[in-house]
Amino acid sequence: MRQYETGFVLSPALSEEETTQLVQQMAEIVAQKKGRMVKQDVWGKRRMAYPIKRFQEGVYVFFTYDGPGDVAGELERRFKQTDAVIRFMTVVRDPRDLVRRKKKKRAEEAAPAAAEPREEK
Amino acid sequence: MPRDDRPERPERSEPRGGGYRKYFAPKRKFCRFCQRDVRGIDYKAVDILKKYIPDRGRITPRRITGTCAFHQRKLALAIKRARLMALLPYVED
Repeated sequence: MRQYETGFVLSPALSEEETTQLVQQMAEIVAQKKGRMVKQDVWGKRRMAYPIKRFQEGVYVFFTYDGPGDVAGELERRFKQTDAVIRFMTVVRDPRDLVRRKKKKRAEEAAPAAAEPREEK
Repeated sequence: MPRDDRPERPERSEPRGGGYRKYFAPKRKFCRFCQRDVRGIDYKAVDILKKYIPDRGRITPRRITGTCAFHQRKLALAIKRARLMALLPYVED
């Protein structure tokens, strides 16, 4: 199972209620397709770097979830149908990105730390 | 004054190059991502990415920023992803 991250931008013209409702709907799809939601991040209204569909602002929402690949497919299919979604993108999270680099250096740091308690004893 | 009598410059780190560079060696660049020990670069971290796009909105080459090849690749991908999501501009004037 892989971890995915789907980000989408909602139209700023929606009311707050409609926005939360839509986000909830999308979150339900993840659950329906047997995906496990890891993180649900709503940034709220934010100025975009360039206009999309004549909107200068957008509501940014990011979902991080792990599950089968069809979760992302289903989400994207729904995004295309919904006019309120003005931009979306799905990225596969690389598990290696979460691990810090320089294992060698880490090991060196860990070795003296492990040695010290022994000396105390 | 013979050449050997000149006082040695302590800050001269690189022996190569003559003229101006001989006395004012450029400051050594380093990869800021390696320094922080990060592996992946997230496209959502706009504040970090912004440092690598000057006012024209182009990606700064690594010969200028000193970013290592590994992180420059990750950085370029992150910037391109951020552009798609309208977090960063494609062009700016």
